[in-house]
Amino acid sequence: MMMALLRRLGQTVFVLFGISALVFLVFFATPGADPTARIAGRNASPQTMEKVRQEYGFDRPLPVQYATMMKKLFITQDLASYVDRGELVVPEIARAAPVTVSLVCGAALIWVVLSIAMGTIAAAMKGTWVDRGLMMLGLIGISMPVFWLGQVANLITQSRYHDTWLFSWVPGLGYVPLTENPWGWFKALVIPWIVLAVMFIGIYSRVLRADLVALSGEDFMRTARAKGLSPTRILLRHGLRTSMVTFVSLFGLDFAQLVGGGALLTEVVFGLPGVGRLTYQALTNLDLPLIMATVMYSAVFVVLANAVVDILYLFLDPRVRDAR
Amino acid sequence: MVQKRFFAMGCVLAALCAASGSPSFAQAELTTAPTPRPAPISSDSHKGGTLRLAAQNSGGTLDPQVSYISLIKQLETPVYDGLLAFPKFAGSAAQPVIANLAEVVPQPEDGGRTYRFTLRPNLHFSNGQVVRVEDVAASFRRLFKVGSPTAGPYYSHIVGADACLHDPARCTLAGGIETDPTTRTITFHLTQPDAEFLDRLAWFHAAILPASTPPHDTGNTAPPGTGPYRVTRYDPATGMVLERNPYFREWAHDAQPAGYVDSIQVTFGLDPEGEVTAIENGQYDWMYEDVPLDRLGEVGSRYAGQVQIYTLLLYYYAALNVRMPPFNSLKARQALSYAINRHAMVIYHGGAAVATPLCQLLPQGAPGYEPSCAYTKGASPAHPLPQWQAPDLEEARKLVRESGTAGQKVTIIAPLEGRYAAMAMELRSTLASLGYDTSVRSMTQTVQFPYVQNSDNHVQIALTGWNADYPSASTFLQTLFTCASFRPHSDNSPNMSAFCNPDIDALMNKASAAALTSPAESRQRWAEVDRALMAQAPAVPLVQIKRVSLLSKRTRNAIVTLNDEILLSQLQVR
Repeated sequence: MMMALLRRLGQTVFVLFGISALVFLVFFATPGADPTARIAGRNASPQTMEKVRQEYGFDRPLPVQYATMMKKLFITQDLASYVDRGELVVPEIARAAPVTVSLVCGAALIWVVLSIAMGTIAAAMKGTWVDRGLMMLGLIGISMPVFWLGQVANLITQSRYHDTWLFSWVPGLGYVPLTENPWGWFKALVIPWIVLAVMFIGIYSRVLRADLVALSGEDFMRTARAKGLSPTRILLRHGLRTSMVTFVSLFGLDFAQLVGGGALLTEVVFGLPGVGRLTYQALTNLDLPLIMATVMYSAVFVVLANAVVDILYLFLDPRVRDAR
Repeated sequence: MVQKRFFAMGCVLAALCAASGSPSFAQAELTTAPTPRPAPISSDSHKGGTLRLAAQNSGGTLDPQVSYISLIKQLETPVYDGLLAFPKFAGSAAQPVIANLAEVVPQPEDGGRTYRFTLRPNLHFSNGQVVRVEDVAASFRRLFKVGSPTAGPYYSHIVGADACLHDPARCTLAGGIETDPTTRTITFHLTQPDAEFLDRLAWFHAAILPASTPPHDTGNTAPPGTGPYRVTRYDPATGMVLERNPYFREWAHDAQPAGYVDSIQVTFGLDPEGEVTAIENGQYDWMYEDVPLDRLGEVGSRYAGQVQIYTLLLYYYAALNVRMPPFNSLKARQALSYAINRHAMVIYHGGAAVATPLCQLLPQGAPGYEPSCAYTKGASPAHPLPQWQAPDLEEARKLVRESGTAGQKVTIIAPLEGRYAAMAMELRSTLASLGYDTSVRSMTQTVQFPYVQNSDNHVQIALTGWNADYPSASTFLQTLFTCASFRPHSDNSPNMSAFCNPDIDALMNKASAAALTSPAESRQRWAEVDRALMAQAPAVPLVQIKRVSLLSKRTRNAIVTLNDEILLSQLQVR
């Protein structure tokens, strides 16, 4: 167990190093990306440019700059943005993370519940119009880009029909902290949750249905039927549980990348100050410290989520347990 | 130059607005044009309430001597003061600077090398401290210590400034600023006359701060100021709050009027589309960004009464590199100037209601502006017309033939954002029609702006924009086209055309010097410089734009000034 943990830790460090070095090198290899002129301000004198270069250490060799940045990011945690010297990126991400977590958890709950329901019903009613209808709905969900759907949702709920009884309850775009006003938090997030969940409902329900249909021909399912178990019990107890292995591994990766900032478009469209929007802002301003911090945060999440998924496998699939 | 919305303004649907039968932008402009002078706050009936503002992103540091972002400048205008100020009213009388923390605007002495100010008595910072002459001197030393962007370009004529630029940490400005606490006088000594010194004392970076303010960028902490508001909360990711400065007592209404609302709340994070909707719904009172092009029709037809349209000293142009083929040929440069369709550029920016074709390097509203168009049908540099009429492709093709540059490869470097793409495509097709093998390279504006300034990148033609910090001809002509403003191998070389003409430099110096003795003569000389530069065509001016600002239904008393745009402190909410 200890060995596995150490191995995982080693992999994490390796992945983080690789990604951070890549981000750093790509940034400095980009023509026009040198932040000195942007920090110094337009038409700043050469002396002011020199002062900035020295203060920020841009006159030092790249490996030294990289090491300093990593030290400030991971050890002293006082890495400041290039756009705003007063903005420390680590606390900034810590403040943004709850917003993203709120968004992604709510959306995940919706997409897990609905996709399991849709996938299972479609598999149980395979070949009927219900199956075809549900899968068609799923396909429509997948086909709609989240930024477009978000803008349309805003157009309907914030603009065109905002004054009607149906949407007059919808608050303005933005975030309300859960601790400040739980009802306000819910109202501010319910539409972003649905918008973010739509595509995943489509994907997950189609994957689950395909899995369940494929499993129905497996030996253990035939055995269950031969034992005289009810079709519902076979589908839910044997089929669904086995299909959950694919479902969970897919969910783990998607959830992690969303919490890690992948919900960027949803956050931008709905004005939610989460990690995704922070990443968007960092990229717009070409703010390397913030880009680095958000990328590292995202990478850590993906690596951790993979580890959690591996552990979940042990519970879901006896074959994995036996293989130990 | 304040970094601002180079991606702004316009009414793509001006015709539609007019056709709709509803109040159009043109009408809106008429109703808002005679901007009122702010009346002294006489009754409490309009005071109070919270003004809710929205902006897409925060503007970074709050340090008034470091920030070069127009959002922060606008938000901190009612927070900080300089010795002088740009008038907080509009109209012809609003051009020269007026006294703010100083009692009067001094007359230059010693041939423009000495300026004596007397500090007003009983002024307080928002922390309760009395403003002393030592705070004034320390604020100017701090400009150099913190590496203010304008320390070099604006304040290097103060005696001792050179040493401060080279060794900011030990900056004393010895001999440059003298103070006398008993008479409250502050005397500035300059190494050479600077016709714009008074304007520069009114500029945002010359804010007076307590002498105890740390000699480094204060970042998210706003140092105490003297204005009617103070910053009480700031989170660059979510928002900012300004509340009344309890120590503020109005001393000069035209320079720093008292505020109406009790607090100003700024929320960061909404995109311009969301901001427009939120203001229409009454959730916010003002948005920093301009109304997006696709919403102008809706705003113009349904919310015209809530719109403010005003001219900015901001224009877009194509900088032509005069040191690289094909634009090292004067004829090739002139050909492009003749051929470009400025009417199309106006349409890309929203139509005639919010954009004007620009044919010269001084925009409308800048001192020295005299309407002149050398490159339009029926005109020439020797015989310019007052306005742009139409492109002259015949003349342009003739010039290209004479230059022998036809067929050469030309790459346009343009920002990715907004309407730049349409402008770049128009430029591309114009160049193609002149016989050049043209392509467009787009990059994000953050990268494009330093990229096109660096001579190492060998940019032939750059699409960009420029705006003035304060109304002055030199901001456009000297900053963009003198030999000194071309800095090879630097990302900070605003002379993107790499243009250097000692004769024109000399003309500029004369125009600048004349401002001290005869402003009228100075303006005339600047107009001559403008024409002389256009004869050399180092750039193709394209379009000057107006700002379209949307306010909520409950907001009143929008005072628009040339320098500070909408005065947030003067907005009233019901």
